[in-house]
Amino acid sequence: MKLEKFTYDNQLSKLFMFATVFWGTIGMLVGLTIAFELIFPGLNGGISWLTFSRIRPIHTNAVIFAFVGNGIFTAVYYSSPRLLKTPMFSKVLGKIHFWGWQLIILAGAITLPLGLTQSKEYAELIWPIDIAVVVIWVIFGINFFGTLAKRRMKHIYVALWFFIATWITVAVLYIVNNLQLPTSLLHSYPIYAGVQDALVQWWYGHNAVAFFLTTPYLGLMYYFVPKAANRPIYSYRLSIIHFWSLIFIYIWAGPHHLLYSALPDWVQALSVAFSIMLLAPSWGGMLNGLLTLRGAWDRVRKDPVLKMFVVGVTAYGMATFEGPMLALKSVNSMSHFTDWTIGHVHVGTLGWNGMMTFGMIYWLVPRLFQTKLFSTKLANIHFWISTLGLLFFVIPLYFAGFTQSLMWKQFTATGQLAYPNFLETVTQIMPMYYLRAFGGSLYFIGMIMFVVNVWKTAAIGSFKRYENDEAPALEKTFKDDPVTGLKWGWHHRLEGKVVKFSVFALIAILIGSLFEMIPMFLIKSNVPTIAAVKPYTPLELQGRDIYVSNGCYTCHSQMIRPFRSETERYGEYTKAGETVYDFPFQYGSKRTGPDLAREGVKTLPNYKPDAWHYNHMMDPQKINAQSIMPPYPWMATKKIDLSSTPSKIRAMMTLGVPYPEGYDKIANKDLKVQAHKIAENLRSSGIKVNDDAEIIALIAYLQRLGTDIYKHK
Amino acid sequence: MSPEEKKNTEQNKIEYDPITNEPLVQGESYDGIKELDNDMPTWYKWLFYLTIVFAVIYLVRIFIFKAPDLIQADEYAAEMTKFKNSATEKKAASFVVKLQTSPAALAKGNEIWHQICAACHRPDGGGLVGPNMTDKYWIHGNTVQDLYNVVTNGVIQKGMLSYKNQLSNQDRLDVVSYVLLKLQGTHPKNPKAPQGKLYK
Repeated sequence: MKLEKFTYDNQLSKLFMFATVFWGTIGMLVGLTIAFELIFPGLNGGISWLTFSRIRPIHTNAVIFAFVGNGIFTAVYYSSPRLLKTPMFSKVLGKIHFWGWQLIILAGAITLPLGLTQSKEYAELIWPIDIAVVVIWVIFGINFFGTLAKRRMKHIYVALWFFIATWITVAVLYIVNNLQLPTSLLHSYPIYAGVQDALVQWWYGHNAVAFFLTTPYLGLMYYFVPKAANRPIYSYRLSIIHFWSLIFIYIWAGPHHLLYSALPDWVQALSVAFSIMLLAPSWGGMLNGLLTLRGAWDRVRKDPVLKMFVVGVTAYGMATFEGPMLALKSVNSMSHFTDWTIGHVHVGTLGWNGMMTFGMIYWLVPRLFQTKLFSTKLANIHFWISTLGLLFFVIPLYFAGFTQSLMWKQFTATGQLAYPNFLETVTQIMPMYYLRAFGGSLYFIGMIMFVVNVWKTAAIGSFKRYENDEAPALEKTFKDDPVTGLKWGWHHRLEGKVVKFSVFALIAILIGSLFEMIPMFLIKSNVPTIAAVKPYTPLELQGRDIYVSNGCYTCHSQMIRPFRSETERYGEYTKAGETVYDFPFQYGSKRTGPDLAREGVKTLPNYKPDAWHYNHMMDPQKINAQSIMPPYPWMATKKIDLSSTPSKIRAMMTLGVPYPEGYDKIANKDLKVQAHKIAENLRSSGIKVNDDAEIIALIAYLQRLGTDIYKHK
Repeated sequence: MSPEEKKNTEQNKIEYDPITNEPLVQGESYDGIKELDNDMPTWYKWLFYLTIVFAVIYLVRIFIFKAPDLIQADEYAAEMTKFKNSATEKKAASFVVKLQTSPAALAKGNEIWHQICAACHRPDGGGLVGPNMTDKYWIHGNTVQDLYNVVTNGVIQKGMLSYKNQLSNQDRLDVVSYVLLKLQGTHPKNPKAPQGKLYK
C-alpha cells in the first residue's frame, strides 16, 4: 500500500490553548470576585457593572464557553487530525472559528455587565451575539465534519464519537432555547413563557452541562489519557455502551432542575427516572478513564499530567453520582435553591473540567514547543493547591446547603416557622461563605502557577508549527472486513460510516427532547389557565425588564414550592397558570435572598411598602445590617426607556399577550399615570424621586408579583 | 482447514496487552491508541440493570398507579392534613385568649416587646411609627382579644405586620398581656400624641 504524506498544522491548537489559559484566568477571577461580593456586599461600590447579579453571568459564561469552550477546541483541533490521519479540513475556517469565538466572548464580557441579558442561565447573551454563536458553531461544524470526510482512517475512534454528539446536540440546544423576538438591537423576549420557557431553558441548561462540559471532555479524556499514560483503553465495549446510553438518557434529565415547581408531575417524573438511569452511563466514562491507567499507576505518583487526570476523572465520577441523587425528589426538596447545588456544580467544573484541562495542557505544551515542561515541581504544587482549593470550596457549601435548608424547614413546637426571618438563615451560613472564598482563592493561586508554567515553557521552547505524518489513502468503497474475534462487529462497521453514525446520534438526542416538549406545548391541561391572571401594565413590564436586566434571578427565586414550610413563609405555592405572561420565566435556581413570587401580596407576612423597597434598593444594609444584598443606587437616577414601550408591547402582543388592539400607542400614557402615583406615594414619605426613575418601574413590578390570584381572597 | 484449525490460527493472530495480558481489539490503532476487548465489570452491569428497574417501577407508579406520593398536589394536601390533625393544631384550636397575669408570662411578654415591638412603639411604649401604648386611646379597641387580633393579623395599611407566623399564640398573648398590665398607665417622656378613641 502506498503511503501518502501530509502535514499537521499546530497553529490553531496553540491559539486555542492560549485562549483557554487566558479566559480561564479571567473567568476564575470574576468567580473569585463574586465570592467576595457575597461576603462584602458593598464591594461593588454602588457601580452597576461590578454588581454580583450583573457579573455572575460573566463568571458562568466565561468558564463554560471561554475556558472550557476553548479547551474543547484545543482538544478537537489537536486530536482529530491525528486520529483521522489528515490535516484539518480548512485553515481559513479554523481561523474564522478561532477569532470569531474570541470576539463572541469579548462581546459577552462587554454586554453582560451592562445589563444586556436574556436572563436564561448560560444563555444570557443577547440575540445578535446568539446569531454570531450559531454562525461560528456552523463554521466549526463544517471544518470538523469536513475533516472527518477526508479522513484516511476507516473507522472513527471513540473520542470523535463524543465530539460528533457534542456538535450536533449543542447546535440543537442552542438554537431551540434561543428562539426569541427582538424588540430592539439589544433586547428581545423569548418566544416561550412561564413554565414552557422554564422547561426549554432547563432542557438547555442541563444539557449544556451534558454536551458542553461533559461529552467533549470525555472525548478529550479518550485521547489524552491513553496518550499520556501510554496504555490501551480499558474496554471498547464499555465505550460503546456508555456513549450511546449517555447521550440518549442525558437529554431527558433536564426537568430535574424544576422538581416541585409548577412543571407538571409527569415531566418531573420522567426526569427523575432518567436521571437515576444516568448513573451507570456516566460511570462508564469514569471507569474507562481510570482503568485505562492500570499498569501506569507508578507513573501517576510522579507525573502531574496523570495526577490531574486521575483527580479530574474521579471528580467526574463523584459529580455524576451526586447528580442522580440530587434528582431524587426527596433529596432535591432539601438541596434545591441552596448552596448545595453550587457545591455540586463546582465538583464538576473545578474538578472535572479544570483538572482535565490542566492535564491536557501540561501534556500538550511541551510537545507543541519541543521542550520539557518549565517546572514539574510547580505543576505538582499546582495539583495539590487546586485539589485543596476544590475541597475548601465544596465542603463548606455542602454544609451551608444542609444548614440553610434545615432552617427554612424548621417549625417550632407550636407550629410556627422557627426562622421566619430569611436573613437569619443567611447570617448562619456566612462562615461557610468565607471558607468558600478561601477555597476559591487557593484554586486561583494554582491557576496563576499554571499560567506561569505554560508561559515559561512556551518561552524557552520553540514552537513546532508543522508535523509530518504519513498513512495509506482510504479506499473510496472499502469493504469492511469483520475484525477477528471482536464481539460487537456491527458497531465497528457503524464507526466506518460517519453520516449514519451522526444521524443515529441525532435521533438519540431528539427522542427525549420531543417526548417531553411536544406535550408541554400542545396539550393545554399542562398549563391550566387562571382567569384572574392578567398581563402586566406597561410600567410593570418595564419594571420586569429592569429586574431581568439587573440579574435579580441570580439570588431570588419566584417559585414557591408546595411544602408547608414554603407556603407558611411565602404564601400559596406557585401555579403554572400564574406565569403565562412571563417572558422569560424568572423561577430562579438559587435563593441567596428570599423568594419573591408573592412579594406584592399585602396580606402576606413578607409584604413591604413602596418606601421600604426604595430605601432597601438604595442601601440594603441600612435596613438590615447583616444583609448581603448589594446596593442598586443607579436605579434612582437612571430613567425608564419610554421609547422602548411601544415595541415591547407589540412584541408581547405578537407572542399572544392579550393587550387591546393599538395599546402600544397609548401604553406610555398608562405608564406615566401609574408611575406618578407610586412616585407621589414615595415623595409623601419624604423620598426625593422622579416619576421616570427605574426604581419606580421596579417597585411597580415587585408590588404586582403574585397578587393576581390573591385578589379574590 | 478444519474449523478447529481455523480457530487456532485466529487465536494466534490476536494481540495481547503485554502488561495485563488481556486481548486487544484487533486492527487499527488510532494515533497509537489501542483498545482492550474487555467486557464490562459485572457490578457495573448490575448497577445499570438496577437503575433501569428503579426507573421502570418509578414510572409505573406515577403513570399507571398515580401514586399520591409522586403527585405533588396530593403530597402537599397530605402534608397540610397531617399538620391540621396534629396535636399542635388541636391545641391551638382550644386556645383561650385571656389576660395572662403570671410573672413568667409577663417576663416573656417583656422579652418579646423589646425584641420586636420596641422598634416601632419605643422600648417604653411611648410610640414612634406605631401608636403610644401607655395612654388610654386605642385605634382598634382595648380588650385582650382586640389587641391579640391586631398582633395576629396586623393592620397592613398602617404598617403593622402580622405576627401569626413569627410568634406562637402563647407568645402573642404574653406580649399583649404585658402591654395591658405593664405599659398601660405609665408615663414615658415625650410620648406620641393620642390616636384613636378614648376608652375609660
